[in-house]
Amino acid sequence: MKYGLIAALVALPLTALTSTAFAYPLTIENCGSNVVIDKAPQKAVGLGQNSTEILLMLGLADRMAGSAIWVSPVLPELAADNQKVHRIANSTPNFEAVVAREPDFIAAQFLTSVGPQGRVGTRQQFADLGVPSYVSPTDCAVTDNAASDGARKKMFSMDLLYQEIDELSRMFDVADRGEKLIAEIKAREAAVRARVADKAKDVSLVYWFSSPEVAGDAWVAGKNGASGYITQVLGAKNIVTSEQEWPLIGWEAIAAEDPTVIVIGTMDRRNQPADDPVAKRQFLITDPVVSKLDAVEKGHIVEMDAQAMNPTIRTITGLETVAASLESFGLLK
Amino acid sequence: MTASRIRLWAAGTAGVLLVLTALLVAMTAGVAIGEMTIPMKTTVAAVTNRLGLTEIAVPRIQEAVIWDYRLSRSLVAAFCGAGLALSGAILQSLLRNPLAEPYVLGISAGASTGAVSVMLLGFGAGAISLSAGAFAGALLAFAFVVMLASGRQTADRTILAGVAASQLFNALTSYIVSTSANAEQARSVMFWLLGSFAGVRWPDVALAASVVSIGLVVCIWHSRALDAFTFGEDAARSLGIAVQRVRIVLLLVTALMTATMVSMVGAIGFVGLVIPHAARFIVGPGHMRLLPACALVGALFMVVADIVSRIIIAPQVLPIGVVTALVGVPFFSVILYRARRVA
Repeated sequence: MKYGLIAALVALPLTALTSTAFAYPLTIENCGSNVVIDKAPQKAVGLGQNSTEILLMLGLADRMAGSAIWVSPVLPELAADNQKVHRIANSTPNFEAVVAREPDFIAAQFLTSVGPQGRVGTRQQFADLGVPSYVSPTDCAVTDNAASDGARKKMFSMDLLYQEIDELSRMFDVADRGEKLIAEIKAREAAVRARVADKAKDVSLVYWFSSPEVAGDAWVAGKNGASGYITQVLGAKNIVTSEQEWPLIGWEAIAAEDPTVIVIGTMDRRNQPADDPVAKRQFLITDPVVSKLDAVEKGHIVEMDAQAMNPTIRTITGLETVAASLESFGLLK
Repeated sequence: MTASRIRLWAAGTAGVLLVLTALLVAMTAGVAIGEMTIPMKTTVAAVTNRLGLTEIAVPRIQEAVIWDYRLSRSLVAAFCGAGLALSGAILQSLLRNPLAEPYVLGISAGASTGAVSVMLLGFGAGAISLSAGAFAGALLAFAFVVMLASGRQTADRTILAGVAASQLFNALTSYIVSTSANAEQARSVMFWLLGSFAGVRWPDVALAASVVSIGLVVCIWHSRALDAFTFGEDAARSLGIAVQRVRIVLLLVTALMTATMVSMVGAIGFVGLVIPHAARFIVGPGHMRLLPACALVGALFMVVADIVSRIIIAPQVLPIGVVTALVGVPFFSVILYRARRVA
């Protein structure tokens, strides 16, 4: 009975996939509009590191015409493939620089790039040139807010990422590779779930991305983002209850919640002094209040790729990192 | 002394005492209110413990929150408010322009340029801090405005110079950010344009206290000269005032105070503009009374604004500059409206 149910669950999405794949023109409902693909893209542009990395993971390097908006170096296992893809810009490129690559498809990670106030251009602008665009479902769920990173009403789930992988792979006519990738990530998540079970119920976490100034208020993960999801999978508690992706919270509020573990983001970006994980750690151990917290005194500080704290292909690695750290701290009981 | 002068003096003293009391109450509230729920008894004990008066056992994290976070923050807010209001008053008198204040004159824009230059362009090769960069940027912008606005002064020239400086330095900041900053989702490096007391600790209190105290003394020392400036430089000169020297000294003091504040807590607008007008409305234009009044009212305003910024959307923090404008503008409107009816 039990196995039958699992088999049914696994089979359900698979049948859904096979029934629609390979049928061009392909129409996919994406972020409130329909993307129509007449034939599998041959010259795609990735706007946003995660979109590009997903395409590379699907083995599509030779079908890409460019990439832009990079936060950190490409995943090591994708470095060789990434070499083949023209980099339009590290940061946000302008519309013409993207169009100059003569793309036949745009895969965007953020609505801020191609949404109604898109910094690169709007999806309509691309559509006017006959270029279909696709926005990551992980970002569509975020209410756009120019002054911050937006808010999320519903908890992020890896299903959104799986949906992105699935839809991209079908549009590129490599649905089998997409299925394989999704299965791999699902297996990794299942392994963590099995290892942690419900042994982390007493653990509370705070995820510190960065801060405008090191000793000032901190951008920490809200309850519904990818970090909130990691916490939920672990069965632990995120001390922040805001729906915003990265609310700015004072250390007094963090100290009041007295988290068991502090996760600090590592990144190559150096726009603020607190982007540097060394500066973060230094603050934690020297601040008159924070240094007295249990988590700091016991050394329960985890370093984690900041991109894993956001909905990306790296979130699964973040989950594994935190789980392994909790285990090594002896907090799984 | 005539009877009316005595009455005036008594009213002034009563006013000062009133504002001082309000300031003390506000600072006590600033220390007592926060995201961490701490009983009043613990709060008092934490302060007296650290002052060496008592040795009452209190949770050490709570004691540290009271002493290292809240009290230092309250004190810096008070000094900052005093310093910015004082700077505004001096600039308004010296440049004979009711709109003059550090924020309008582009000093905060200069500070942000200095900060991003250090952070993103690597000026000073790690040897100078972000604050030092902001400080240098603020001074540079200030010098730029004074240079453009000096000579024969008209009311518009100062403001035009300030607008030009703001535009220039904001453009430089944007240029540096867009060419040098790494990609990010939506955040920008704009802490310097919003202001925050969150990062201040005791060393900042010492710095703010000394700079503002020195500034206050120097300004009050020149209060008679400032009174004379109200009637123009020629009038001041004819009263035997070394116009050039006084101008330079007071501009330097103002620049020093503003740059210190901006490098410490970012740019906080509106205080330098509103408080001097409010204070003038209460105590009149004489600088001997106006300057201390500005310092006191500015301190009170900023401490209250900081409390509001912390509790209004707790546990998140509203940028202090948003609060000063939200509270300041209606207040300023009332003053303007009443002044219109009086006139």
